[in-house]
Amino acid sequence: MLSRVANSLYWLSRYLERAENLARLVDVNRYDALDAADTGKEDSDTLWRPLLYATCSEEVYNAAKTAKDDLDVGWFITFSPNNPDSIRQSVAQARENARMARDQISEEMWLELNSIHLFLQSAKAERLWRRQPESFYREIIKFCLLFEGLIDATILQDEGWNFIQAGKYLERADKTTRVLDMLAFMGDPDRGKLASALRSCSGFSAFRDEFRSDFTSRNVMSFLLFSQSFPRSVRFCLRQLDRHLHAISGTPEDAYSNEAERLTGSALAQLNFSSVDNVWAAGQHQYIDGLQKQFNDIGQNIFETYVLLPSEIRSVTRQEAWQLQWQQQQQQQQ
Amino acid sequence: MFANADGRHFDHYQTLHERFESLGATELDEKRRLVENGFLEQGITFTVYGDDQGTERIFPFDLIPRIIPDHEWQLIEKGLTQRILALNLFLHDIYHERNIIKDGLVPEDVVVGAAHYRPEMVGVDVPQDIYIHICGTDLIRNGEGRYLVLEDNGRCPSGVSYLLENREAMKRAFPGMYRQYRVRPVDNYPELLLKTLQNLCPRPGQTPVCALLTPGVYNSAYFEHTFLARKMGIEIVEGSDLIAIDGYVYMRTTKGLVQVDVIYRRLDDDFLDPTVFREDSVLGVPGIIDAYLRGNVALANAVGTGVADDKVTYAFVPDMIRYYLDQDPILENVPTYLAWREDDRKFILENLEKLVVKAANESGGYGMLMGPTSTSKEREEFAAKIRRNPRNFIAQPVVSLSRHPTICDERQIEGRHVDLRPFILYGKNIEIIPGGLTRVALRKGSLVVNSSQGGGSKDTWVLYR
Repeated sequence: MLSRVANSLYWLSRYLERAENLARLVDVNRYDALDAADTGKEDSDTLWRPLLYATCSEEVYNAAKTAKDDLDVGWFITFSPNNPDSIRQSVAQARENARMARDQISEEMWLELNSIHLFLQSAKAERLWRRQPESFYREIIKFCLLFEGLIDATILQDEGWNFIQAGKYLERADKTTRVLDMLAFMGDPDRGKLASALRSCSGFSAFRDEFRSDFTSRNVMSFLLFSQSFPRSVRFCLRQLDRHLHAISGTPEDAYSNEAERLTGSALAQLNFSSVDNVWAAGQHQYIDGLQKQFNDIGQNIFETYVLLPSEIRSVTRQEAWQLQWQQQQQQQQ
Repeated sequence: MFANADGRHFDHYQTLHERFESLGATELDEKRRLVENGFLEQGITFTVYGDDQGTERIFPFDLIPRIIPDHEWQLIEKGLTQRILALNLFLHDIYHERNIIKDGLVPEDVVVGAAHYRPEMVGVDVPQDIYIHICGTDLIRNGEGRYLVLEDNGRCPSGVSYLLENREAMKRAFPGMYRQYRVRPVDNYPELLLKTLQNLCPRPGQTPVCALLTPGVYNSAYFEHTFLARKMGIEIVEGSDLIAIDGYVYMRTTKGLVQVDVIYRRLDDDFLDPTVFREDSVLGVPGIIDAYLRGNVALANAVGTGVADDKVTYAFVPDMIRYYLDQDPILENVPTYLAWREDDRKFILENLEKLVVKAANESGGYGMLMGPTSTSKEREEFAAKIRRNPRNFIAQPVVSLSRHPTICDERQIEGRHVDLRPFILYGKNIEIIPGGLTRVALRKGSLVVNSSQGGGSKDTWVLYR
């Protein structure tokens, strides 16, 4: 498979996973904000701040807010063109990557992705969002789940599919740790906050099955980090990532043939042999931060192993090269 | 409508006419929406230039198909076959013996002065001695109903994906009518194209590794590139996906480098190789021309074919047909005045308001003066340009392109000007898919059919006998 195409498939899937997680997060947070408004306990800033923190968009938000005072956080995370990680932008990026790998994905995948992209670009999307936000977010989540189904049901489960899965699980692991970091950020979250965190990961009922509604920080942390069988726990995601990376290279699962596999294996081993006590000993935020750094390294190493050739360090900066490329691409026409 | 100059219906349009007459406004709208949504959802779009981020639009589509009866098509087929043979013989000749120049039929200046003449190709033998493997020739019909050649596109002609998608759309919108008419299918084009490419493989006894080289996602024809690559089952590559090492070209894959045999390049010569042509090209592959000249990789079309579709060279094609094939041209040219001929230049400058002036190397309807609709300021500008660089300009009388019934605003059916671009493949055999891309000038009275300037397209039906 072409390196560039592998990279596009990987990012296609990362961006959609990102959009799905964002949609859940905002929807849950928005719902909580309703309760708070009733009791008047907290102002909206305190409510939304953890969300900005979890999506790493505080800085961009503050910059955008100086230009527009009444900037709505929900809108910002969902639609803002100034936010490179908004749902709308993530889907647009996913589609751009799909365009580059169009010959590797099925007709159905392209059709669905293209129609959700067109929907998000239309005024209809914002209208629905204003009138019935829960329907809006449900649409997005439904699309992402449908797309996941199409990935499993309509293309060959070969190398490209493994890159798609690798992208999905790395992004998902990262997003779950961000929810956990949000809890760590809040210090001592109450039952409501813990339930919200679980709902942001679609893990509310799964948690109840494992922990019988014993809502404590330790249990929620333990569940979202270490659960063996919950498909959004960090450990689960890393195990899948490890499997798909090995399927790509053909290396046996207990060995490694590149840095991305080594780092993934090592992070997985760490989770396999830790418990929530280690998290508390290290400090919640520090522990989670450590994981996130490992995820970044893994992503970088996947790129270096499969996409970049060592001989290809260019003299021009990437940005310049892209601009030039864009201009020249337009000049070919007959 | 659907009639000739005497107001008599063409027989082959009778059923179509009745069908469209019977459609109510709502039904027509529905069909149109069905088709347009289909295009948009599938991303069958092109990019408009001049817009900083490249807006995507669908190519406007007209529901009324153009019908070409079998006897007309046979003539077109013969004429195009003759033409592509002559053009290829010409290209071989000018890069080798140059007999046509020695014999005084085509002036040397015309050849070496063409912007797309490539001295690097002199004395180079290309695989199977074929230069133009894929050709899109633009035809028009004049007032008497005769087909004339407007231009040959022998570099990287585009549009074939629209032809194929238009057909799909029509089949969905009017299944009954389509069946009734006994239309010849076009859907084997990708297979024919793949065979044409495989025919060039330099490694015998090997399943050829073919790839389509695209300028990238921001190119207006990117949809077409992915479309064709997908249908042929070959890789679509950008310049940065390829690497030339010691005279061979490889694709960079996740499993390492894979040698490539044949490249269907949708990139102009200029951009192919920064070490040979434009130094600033970031789309090309350094070293690819070296590999090509050594015969280790084949390119379709060959390098240097642009001489043949230069608008000045065009004027000589009928002579070429006589010279190389000893035949009379089956399809005529539009009468053409060449500004570098003194008499012609004088005539052009005196008659600017009656002529269409074209730059020799532009495409897509750019660099053109439409005499009758031009302002005196535009004419002055063009006159100055022509005097400055006569080699670069030709002029033709305004041919009254045939008009074809087209659904216009307010759902009125009116006549609009059309042309036809059939696609010719030259591999082991010469294959022309029955049909072509019919482009239509949607603006009333307009003669410009280019999609970038308000043109649309129609499905084109060639009928079984």
